[in-house]
Amino acid sequence: MAGATQDFSQFDISKEEIDKLVAEVVRYVLFKTHQNSGCPIKREELVQLVTKNYSQRALPAHVINAAKEKLSNAFGYELRELLRCRPSSATQGRSTQQTGVAEAKSYVLISQLPAEVYKKYVEDENSAHLSGFTFVVISIVHLAGGKIPEDILWRHLKRMGLCETDASHPVFGNAKQALETLVQQRYLQKDKVNGPEGNTLFYELAERALDGPVSEKMKEYISEAFKLM
Amino acid sequence: MPSLNWKHHALVQALMTRGPLKEKDFHAIFSGLTGKSPGAHQGLFNEYLLNINKELSSCQFELRACRDQYVGQVCYGVVNNVADEQSKLGTKYTVQQIAFFKGILEAIAQDVIAQGSISNIEALNIRLENQVLSTQGSQLLNGPLPAAFRNFTMSQKEKTLDEFVQDQWLCCTPDGKIGLGVRSCLDLRGWFRNLDVPFCEVCNEAVVKGELCQNEGCAVRIHHYCLKNKFSRRSGEILCPRCGLKWQNQLPKAEILDEEEEANDAIQSQPAQRPKRKRTKTNETHEKDAVGCGSSQSSVPNSDFRRITRSSSRPASQR
Repeated sequence: MAGATQDFSQFDISKEEIDKLVAEVVRYVLFKTHQNSGCPIKREELVQLVTKNYSQRALPAHVINAAKEKLSNAFGYELRELLRCRPSSATQGRSTQQTGVAEAKSYVLISQLPAEVYKKYVEDENSAHLSGFTFVVISIVHLAGGKIPEDILWRHLKRMGLCETDASHPVFGNAKQALETLVQQRYLQKDKVNGPEGNTLFYELAERALDGPVSEKMKEYISEAFKLM
Repeated sequence: MPSLNWKHHALVQALMTRGPLKEKDFHAIFSGLTGKSPGAHQGLFNEYLLNINKELSSCQFELRACRDQYVGQVCYGVVNNVADEQSKLGTKYTVQQIAFFKGILEAIAQDVIAQGSISNIEALNIRLENQVLSTQGSQLLNGPLPAAFRNFTMSQKEKTLDEFVQDQWLCCTPDGKIGLGVRSCLDLRGWFRNLDVPFCEVCNEAVVKGELCQNEGCAVRIHHYCLKNKFSRRSGEILCPRCGLKWQNQLPKAEILDEEEEANDAIQSQPAQRPKRKRTKTNETHEKDAVGCGSSQSSVPNSDFRRITRSSSRPASQR
């Protein structure tokens, strides 16, 4: 059961113990994702679940891979690995969109179902507004070149009816908090830049928004939206 | 181990993302995915669930069904079976909110006449300190916590109650009280056992809302809907399975029929908001008549109705 493609014979551990470790990792990922509303989980946390009781060096990697398989086979979720990017001002020289310097790996759960199936049966209509908000904000930042000053971003949002100072918006509640959640979920990251007028806060796309499938889809949708105009 | 395809995954993900689903919704998803209805293809449906559970069990999860004790409806959900360190993460509620919930649960479950619900005021008066002594969790420390429990204000309690109802751990009963929600029925079997709640003689699930045997010394409890099944099938008397005393049918037959009809309306019109706090004495039979009259008054004259509903089949003099 534990990772048909993983070879655990090199470790001197019984199959039951391996299965138990894999189950623990799977459960940790599922519960933590629910608790922090989809914020990425650091690889370090998963590794700790294994090294807590076992000291074999290559074991964590094997267990995590087996857990990946389990999540895919049993639930249809992909345990997608993201490389955490650093804000572009922290790196010297080129400042293109893909400047992320890999610091730490983190994971998010993504459904592997075809999009129409997901939309028809799985999507929770109570949280549809959050997906919409995420999409709109990422599009704005993308169209601005991947990076946008804070006040410009809020200017755009205000035109669509959401003010920075809104603390009890009927749909989003605290507007500032809603944006902050996108940062925690690693769709955006914050960057302070020293300018002639002092410090400016920039928002730029982070690893979750730059991830292949997400980025591709986004560009598709944006071009669709332009066609409609 | 049989491998699951995207259809199985869709069923599991639907329950995990949207929470517990009513039977008809779940069946609708199944029909949409496979093109076959569970009613006509029981074998296939069961096979799907069995295969799903084989995979889920290795991670201590289970896809199961239970009956909502207030309207007798079947609901499906994915349930966690083991309370370990990982599952303690799986909640967004604070320690105080959890203690509050436990207090409500105990108050409902320990009701001697098994009404299955407590009033709003009772819920808000639950004292959290009583829970501190009985809780043992790795998160609990000594010292400052009791103060935090004491300072859990009324408005925080109200807000928390709303959240519990929204998340389906608690529910609002049609008569404006607080009862157990679908998630509690699905997830908390072990808890009911610990609280020594009697289990139903017919279906072997905990009876939080149900009927008691008339015999004072007999602890038998049976759910309303389980009794309904028994009464409708047999024409003779029902005897208590343990003490043999004749079981009185505590709900008049006419009300049972109306209850079924109204239950469907109640489910649709039961949004997460709790009714405003008003102490009105609602007489259940009057409420049902009012519902019946209201719907036929606002509708087209009877001659245009093809379908004869129960309310419109009553003689005109009653309205």
